[in-house]
Amino acid sequence: MTAPAMSTEAEHAAVKSAPVVGRRRRKAERGKQRSSVLTVIIWLTVLYFIVPLLWLVISSTKDNADLFTTFGLKLGHSFQLFKNLGSLFTFQDGIYSRWLINTVLYAVVGSVGAAVLSTMAGYALAKYRFPGSRAVFNIVLGSIMVPLTALALPTYLLFAAAHLTDTPWAVILPSLVSPFGVYLMRVYAADAVDDSILEAARIDGASEFRVFRTISLKLLTPGIVTVLLFQLVATWNNYFLPLIMLNSPKLFPVTVGLAQWQGAAAAGGGAQVLFSTVITGAFVSIIPLMIAFLFLQRYWQSGLATGGVKG
Amino acid sequence: MRNLRRTTMAGAAGATSLVLALTGCSSSGDGNGTKAPAKALTQSEIDKAMDTPTTITFWSWLPNIQDQIDLFEKKYPKIKVVLVNQGDASAQYVKLRAAVKAGQGVPDVAQVGYDYLPSFTQTKSLLELTPYGADKIASDFVPGVWSQVVQNGGIYAVPQDSGPMGTLYRTDILSKAGVDAPATWADFATAAQEVKSKTGAYITNLPGNDMPQTLGFFSQAGASLFTYDGKTTVGINVDNDVTQKVVAYWQDLIQKDLVSTDPDFTDAWYQGLSRGKYATWLTAAWGPTFLAGSAKNTSGAWRAATLPQWSAGQNVSGNWGGSSDAVMAATKNPIPAYELAKFINNDPSSTIELANKQSLYPTTISTLSSPAFTDAKSDFYGGQQVNKFFADVSSTVPQNQKYVPFEDYVNSSYNDTLGKAIADHGDLKAALSAWQQQLVTYAKQQGFSVK
Amino acid sequence: MTAETPRRMALSAPAARRSRGIHAGQTRTAWLLILPFLLVFAAFFTVPLGYSAYLSLFTSKLVGGEVFSGLDNYSRALHDPHFWEGLRRVAFFLCVQMPIMLAASTFIALALDSQRVRGGKFVRLLVFVPYAVPSVVATLMWGYLYGKDYGLITQMFDAVGLHAPDLLSPGSILGSTMNIVCWEFVGYNMIVLYAALRSVPNDLYEAAEIDGAGQWRIAWSIKLPALRPALLLTLIFSIIGSFQLFNEPNLLFNIAPNAIGSDFTPNLYAYNLAFRGQDNNYAAAIAFLLGFVVMIVAFVVQGVTNRKERQA
Repeated sequence: MTAPAMSTEAEHAAVKSAPVVGRRRRKAERGKQRSSVLTVIIWLTVLYFIVPLLWLVISSTKDNADLFTTFGLKLGHSFQLFKNLGSLFTFQDGIYSRWLINTVLYAVVGSVGAAVLSTMAGYALAKYRFPGSRAVFNIVLGSIMVPLTALALPTYLLFAAAHLTDTPWAVILPSLVSPFGVYLMRVYAADAVDDSILEAARIDGASEFRVFRTISLKLLTPGIVTVLLFQLVATWNNYFLPLIMLNSPKLFPVTVGLAQWQGAAAAGGGAQVLFSTVITGAFVSIIPLMIAFLFLQRYWQSGLATGGVKG
Repeated sequence: MRNLRRTTMAGAAGATSLVLALTGCSSSGDGNGTKAPAKALTQSEIDKAMDTPTTITFWSWLPNIQDQIDLFEKKYPKIKVVLVNQGDASAQYVKLRAAVKAGQGVPDVAQVGYDYLPSFTQTKSLLELTPYGADKIASDFVPGVWSQVVQNGGIYAVPQDSGPMGTLYRTDILSKAGVDAPATWADFATAAQEVKSKTGAYITNLPGNDMPQTLGFFSQAGASLFTYDGKTTVGINVDNDVTQKVVAYWQDLIQKDLVSTDPDFTDAWYQGLSRGKYATWLTAAWGPTFLAGSAKNTSGAWRAATLPQWSAGQNVSGNWGGSSDAVMAATKNPIPAYELAKFINNDPSSTIELANKQSLYPTTISTLSSPAFTDAKSDFYGGQQVNKFFADVSSTVPQNQKYVPFEDYVNSSYNDTLGKAIADHGDLKAALSAWQQQLVTYAKQQGFSVK
Repeated sequence: MTAETPRRMALSAPAARRSRGIHAGQTRTAWLLILPFLLVFAAFFTVPLGYSAYLSLFTSKLVGGEVFSGLDNYSRALHDPHFWEGLRRVAFFLCVQMPIMLAASTFIALALDSQRVRGGKFVRLLVFVPYAVPSVVATLMWGYLYGKDYGLITQMFDAVGLHAPDLLSPGSILGSTMNIVCWEFVGYNMIVLYAALRSVPNDLYEAAEIDGAGQWRIAWSIKLPALRPALLLTLIFSIIGSFQLFNEPNLLFNIAPNAIGSDFTPNLYAYNLAFRGQDNNYAAAIAFLLGFVVMIVAFVVQGVTNRKERQA
């Protein structure tokens, strides 16, 4: 299942609801008492989500033998985390760090670019009535249904004709297109930017671009951060596009690199079994996004709150 | 600089795409490749090319092939080789084909399994190597192996390794069951019974995802499945008396639960090897070093023997795997490309290391008989001279294994039919006919005439 | 000028005149704002899509090359058991996995919204965390957990003396895939639904409580209806996501090669046709048909839900 496909609904609903989140809730909640039964049930569910990650952390401290022979949630006979990290960052001349850097580059450039384009387009679709706007919006909506393989091969061939395959552009350029982002920004802008403010600014003689830059952008910020966040996750997790576009391992993002190592570990190619390296690599690869996520989440939530006040 | 140029081109990409879409132009593989010289190159032409600073790209899935590249670069300091590892063979074929189709990003040299050579020659993606001197090294190689790289009279690759098959068995498990290494398939079936009842282990594992191994069994039994005339005629004969006999044999063992059917080269299978789940591994000459690296904890318990035979007193093996290094037709540097392929697989300093350190079973006669190779003893095999053993096996491989130019399909069709039946413990005979049918249908659909 | 809105018409005369002048400017601005997106959209979406449509009208053979064949590829696909089998599989996947996923998400969202769970803030975060894990890593990790002889799940079954099921066998691999997708997206959908719940004005609850409605009653008659738009969206996008299932089966293939065929999902089938089978043209047709099916299902679901909503 693809991240971009799944992300939209969250963006939509989150944004949609944002302007209405009230502070009025607080008062009533004070009186509520906790339920032990519900607490136990919910925390048991939490285990389901956390235990696999716990396993990943513990497994990255084991060597190959312990990985397969000791209980998954207990430490192995020896603590090999640092040795695993050592082999992770030195294997194939330390290409793993290169993959991490590539991932950051693709994700940041791709998501910032997509957010900029989506904001402009979404705002225009929401706030201007012009011939063709409906058609544009419908095309954007329809494009969400297109399966990724329909595009993969022709995109690959066209990029090859332009000598762009096996370059960072092959991954970055297609990820600039985010119909979801446009859709979401349109929904958000419709609520967040009040027409009367725009009218007032226009009557004061401000040019359209000035209105956009000085007034609307500020109002749109929470929405933009949301798009940015989700687009960041989508590009960070992207696997299919770089898989077909890139040939040189030194250009891989970490997802493709890890999948390749896992394939190599399985194929065995000689006497090389690097399961614990792959596991450690998987563990390390999710740390940056989790940190980035926690960090951005504050912005995101405060963004929703801001939207709420405006509403 | 390279990147800078590409930046400016990014803008043009859209426009180019549009034109392409409108004209329906797609680059094809056999486009602007190197024109082969009409007659053989002279030594001075070769020397000159090898003394010109050149960078070539080499795709291989061998993890440590860089060692051989280092040797090559030491000998030819002007030539720089960029190694690209795509992970495993099947991943590399996908990438290679896409690059050929796109006409961009094609390497100069690529590792290609013997079974996939026709698939790439059929699309004219490989360079014919006779003008570069490949005919002169033919006699250095084991004849049966060399025949794999020759097609329609042309030489399309340099052999890298091969896989004459044998049995690796656990002495401890077999002795606990009170049996010897089985000499015939009948013995093997009897031993299977004993091993299962006395030790709980399976006599062996028959994976449902490894067509090359099955092809090795078929070949040992004397079946010749495929023919290809190098042009448009293929012969497909996977469902015949011999193959039916072979699958009936395995069907029986699977039904009695004496043989496990775990997919091989997976985590579960590695665990099976380490834990003594399988008493034998019917493998090829590259198996011993591989096993020594993957199941270290079982060191000393393993020995090598010939494959079980269909009738007592015979000594016939089969072949499983093996690959070559081919020069891609799209290369702009055919001379250094060929020299690399030749050096890695023909230079004694390189081939002995390939054999001893990277578990690639040698293909040159000199390395096969070199004491540095044959005398190697391994503690993992209780001091047995495993290399010497397989060197003797390699002369017993029948020359009946040929391949058709759509190996990808043969493989995936196998997995969907016979392989699936093995994994599901289903009807192998019916699956065999289904496989035959699928292959014939596909070949006809692709425009081949089928014999 | 015909597009004048009633609101603008109501403006005073001089303002209206000015706004008429502005209107042309607005259209220009709108297009300028949209243009950058439209350009990349055209270059990296429309053009490849058109090229793909074009490709699907040809048939290529290893011997004989490419010839125009009209809609042959499409009629071949309609008679292709591999395609239908894959489609049936993802449809089944959708019917089982999506309700479970959405029910779990809704339940957690409702529980958190009720404020009756201790440590609700942490729950929200921890349940959401898997969303930050790339599907490649998630699949790789679950692959180890599923392992027949060594996986954590087997170990847990062994610990309580039960026989562990083989989660990588052909019979169970679809369920195992569902589990991975659930694990990845329950938290995500939960956050969406939670946000929707937070938007319900409190007066409603207070009124309900004064009327003596219990918590379950409130959840049923106020909260669930409030979730409807958000649920509809998660539904539509689950449909699209399920039909396009690719990453998880493609990676699971490495550890369960016999359980996952080359045609496990239509998307995987198209990928294998194009990149392994060298049949781009047919792959393009399959991909188009798949898009068509997704569109129909999405519209039907949307239509049915809308009608229900109108009736309600």
